[in-house]
Amino acid sequence: MNKSRPVYAPFKLDPSGAAHLIVTSLAAPPAGLDDTLSEVEVWTVARTGPGIPVPMVGAQRPFRSRTELLAQLEHRLGRAAIGLRLYAIGSEAFIWDAANIAVAAGMGHGEIFTHQAGPRLRRVYCTHCRTMIEDVAVNIAPCPACDAVLSVRDHFSRRLAAFMGVKVDAEVPGEIPAPEEFAT
Amino acid sequence: MNLAIADIETLSPGLKRFTFTGAELPWAGPGSHLVLEIPGAERTRKNAYSLIAAPDGAYRIVVRRVERSRGGSHWLHDHARPGDVLEVRAPQNFFHPPRNAKRHLLLSAGIGITPFLAYAQTSGLVYELHHCCKPEEAHSFRALLPQGANAVLHTNREALNLHGLLARQKLETHLSICGPESFMDHAISLAKSLGWPPAKIHLESFGSANWGNPFSVRLKRSGITVDVRPGESVLEALEAAGLNPPCLCRGGACGECRMSVLEGTPEHHDHYLSESEKTSGKSMMICVSRAITPELLLDF
Ligand code: FES
Repeated sequence: MNKSRPVYAPFKLDPSGAAHLIVTSLAAPPAGLDDTLSEVEVWTVARTGPGIPVPMVGAQRPFRSRTELLAQLEHRLGRAAIGLRLYAIGSEAFIWDAANIAVAAGMGHGEIFTHQAGPRLRRVYCTHCRTMIEDVAVNIAPCPACDAVLSVRDHFSRRLAAFMGVKVDAEVPGEIPAPEEFAT
Repeated sequence: MNLAIADIETLSPGLKRFTFTGAELPWAGPGSHLVLEIPGAERTRKNAYSLIAAPDGAYRIVVRRVERSRGGSHWLHDHARPGDVLEVRAPQNFFHPPRNAKRHLLLSAGIGITPFLAYAQTSGLVYELHHCCKPEEAHSFRALLPQGANAVLHTNREALNLHGLLARQKLETHLSICGPESFMDHAISLAKSLGWPPAKIHLESFGSANWGNPFSVRLKRSGITVDVRPGESVLEALEAAGLNPPCLCRGGACGECRMSVLEGTPEHHDHYLSESEKTSGKSMMICVSRAITPELLLDF
């Protein structure tokens, strides 16, 4: 077990919170929403979202992209009152981007919950040229910036919200194993 | 170390400020306290007092004359004179301003103001202080309170809209509370009901909970039984019996004096044990907690 790899508990609302904001990189709200709690808001990423700020429909608000959602999150947390719980659900890159925004806004232990969900796609950090590569599905991938063929390690940086990518043929040039999909 | 009382100022009939000086006093950050050994008719008292800020490096404390005093505050108020030398333990700090807080909401009542006087002088510390006191003491506390709109005095607890205050804080605020047990318990439960995470609630209590019924403690390993009188803590009773149980803060905050309870039911007054540990009744902090049953058997 890689120590840098966070462990995620199943999603569940924390009843000690006074208000709950769920942000997900997926198109649908998570299963198991507890409807006995009030003040629950869900932000989703649906590619067909309106693209301009709209009044919330019920307690659900769709965004066109993760980028748009995260920008709004920063704004929202800057104005939020204490008592809020933030739940980030989706790819590891997304949930740690959201968690980092929450920490910068002053949230901490007991206020931020992260849950991995959806397709196992990784953000990969090319350790040779520092390029971020989004949504990588397999463990061997070329860096689009420096053309290194990267082996995607299980080493995860929470600060960068990314997995480390290291040249695969560093030892024996030209020897590239067959890519495999990520199991976790 | 031995420190001489350099100065005693009367702030009000019930409040006095003491200054201690000495060569090369260890530096003490905001939230630190001193334990003084105070002579008494029957025995020496060890009382903890928060240091109020001391820009010149001297140690200053403010002591309230407690009605049902266990001796310490009466001696300081009535007998202490400048030049008297007391045995003082080097400052300890269990109430640092939380480091990752961008803003601090400080709530105090009565003599609980003292650690926040040091906070208020810490450069770069952004705070809002609300202090509650009795109307007859408003004058002396107003004189102690820092200047500015961010330090507010309330002459009764109802005048402070605690609910509104706690509910409107931003995510970057941490809450620190110091005062009598009833004040702290009220503020803590209100904050929790408004969703404050425990990690953002910081507490400093002082041994005001020591008043209570007498009981006795049987010590399994030492094989002796010690009577704990009203107005005396288990810790003090054991010390009076010549034992030397571990302790640091003497105020239910540090966890050092924890003891296993083998028989009997403790009555908890600390802010160290978790709720479930308190309910289980298997251990207690002997500096502040007492007993519901007439006797406790402790593993010591
Ligand atoms: S001495 Fe610190 S908790 Fe008792």
